[in-house]
Amino acid sequence: MKRLIVLYFRLISIQVRSQMQYRFSFWMEVLSTMLLNGSYFLALYLVLQQFETIAGWRLGEVAFLAGMVELSFALMDMFFSGFDPDAFSPFVWKGSFDQLLLRPLPITFQVLSSRFVLRRLGRIMEGLVIFIFALILTDVPWSALKIVYLFMVLISQVIVYGALFMVGSTLTFWTVKPIEAVNIVTYGGTEMMTYPMNIYPLWLRRFFTYILPFIFMNYYPALFFLGKADPLGFPVFAPFLAPFAALVVMFLSFKFWKFGLRHYQGTGS
Amino acid sequence: MVKIFWRLVWVSLRQQTTYRAAMLAGLVTNLFFGVLRLALMQALYKDQGAVNGLDLGGAITYIGISQSLIAFLFIFGSNDFMKSVSSGEIATDLLKPVRLFTLWMARDLGRGLVNLFTRGVLFMVIFQFFYPLVWPVSVGQVLVFVFSLTISWLLSFAWRFLVNLAAFWTPDAIGVGRAAFALSQFFSGFILPLRLFPEWTQTIFNLTPFPSMVNTPIDIWIGLISGTEIWLAIGIQLIWLLLLVWLCQVTVRAGVRHLVIQGG
Repeated sequence: MKRLIVLYFRLISIQVRSQMQYRFSFWMEVLSTMLLNGSYFLALYLVLQQFETIAGWRLGEVAFLAGMVELSFALMDMFFSGFDPDAFSPFVWKGSFDQLLLRPLPITFQVLSSRFVLRRLGRIMEGLVIFIFALILTDVPWSALKIVYLFMVLISQVIVYGALFMVGSTLTFWTVKPIEAVNIVTYGGTEMMTYPMNIYPLWLRRFFTYILPFIFMNYYPALFFLGKADPLGFPVFAPFLAPFAALVVMFLSFKFWKFGLRHYQGTGS
Repeated sequence: MVKIFWRLVWVSLRQQTTYRAAMLAGLVTNLFFGVLRLALMQALYKDQGAVNGLDLGGAITYIGISQSLIAFLFIFGSNDFMKSVSSGEIATDLLKPVRLFTLWMARDLGRGLVNLFTRGVLFMVIFQFFYPLVWPVSVGQVLVFVFSLTISWLLSFAWRFLVNLAAFWTPDAIGVGRAAFALSQFFSGFILPLRLFPEWTQTIFNLTPFPSMVNTPIDIWIGLISGTEIWLAIGIQLIWLLLLVWLCQVTVRAGVRHLVIQGG
């Protein structure tokens, strides 16, 4: 285990160094990613000046939702880069996945350490800026326990998104090319979580409650932190389901990944 | 020349129609995000009348149309030209008896037209079953909309072509494109209708060609501008078009002189 951790940092540091080769172009990219991802929130910020609230949520409160999602999704996108279906699928169709299978190291470890996209820092910074903005605009009575739980929610989100990437990649064992529907769930799902979930049509909310428990990952914890009433009438423990939901989703995804590995046949290339 | 142009459009159109599954997937994605964007709009307009002349019905229609035009106007950008420079494919394109600008315009139009029907018209047909959309009230309005949208497409093509030309000078044109297309997305009124923004931001937007790419035709469709305002808006579109096409010509000439094809 210790050996693996050392190796992980070795492999990641190689990636980081190679990506930092062209410093100027690297920081330009970080900056443009920051602006690109931030432009949607900026647009909302400007437009909210004419509307005041989104279904009773003020700017700072929406920023709380958006900051959490941006931050955790970007973190996930950095650490789980190897499992990004768009990056993983070439392993399958080029046949280089077979090479990984021959190496004497756990396969999940190899995929995780195969790619580390440092320029995601841009989105991480963007998420941080929005979140700090939220903290300034809202006055949450923070306590040590709340801060601990905030980090737990953040990590839970990272785990859930990572699990989806894993499922998306596993599916390419059969489909070879990444599936668009997975993108709808990951990118669409995170887009949904950027806003108060009660604004969405019922069928959509049901899907993201019972099939994929996204509603418990960001919306309910935010209700708790911001001290807002629950308009949907869920049990009082709903804001605290995030870590459990994350573990269940990750467990199932990991099982599916293992199942896929057992049935992997290669493309013959 | 005209015959070659349409021939090229036809070839590109045939190419695009080959990927049926991708087209369907694209349509489904557009629909899904359309639902999300509309939910946000409805939430914003809750207990709120018209803002700057745009009421909920108009806003819903605005989001619907802008969403349906994503694939036709390539709102998120395109980078095929850049790729042809970095792969060296451009060498064979330069041998063809067609200008680079015309060649890529034909390719773009072929793909765009397929997208316009499979992801634009179809999108609106499906959407009108679920949302109360605003429709043009006269044949004249429809014709003006089509005319304005045609210029929008030309503008959008010229802008994307210009951005892609960066590949002549930098190996990192993808990064340049990412920033440039983020800018045009924001300023064009794709993300949210421009008239919902504060006045001072609208002044900035109007100094750029981007509102002419998305906001103008949609304003015409919804009936937010009428009479002489329409002709003024179309005049502005045309002026930007001339300017951008001219910039493309100058830049492409300088770029081809600068180009070194690597390997082969």
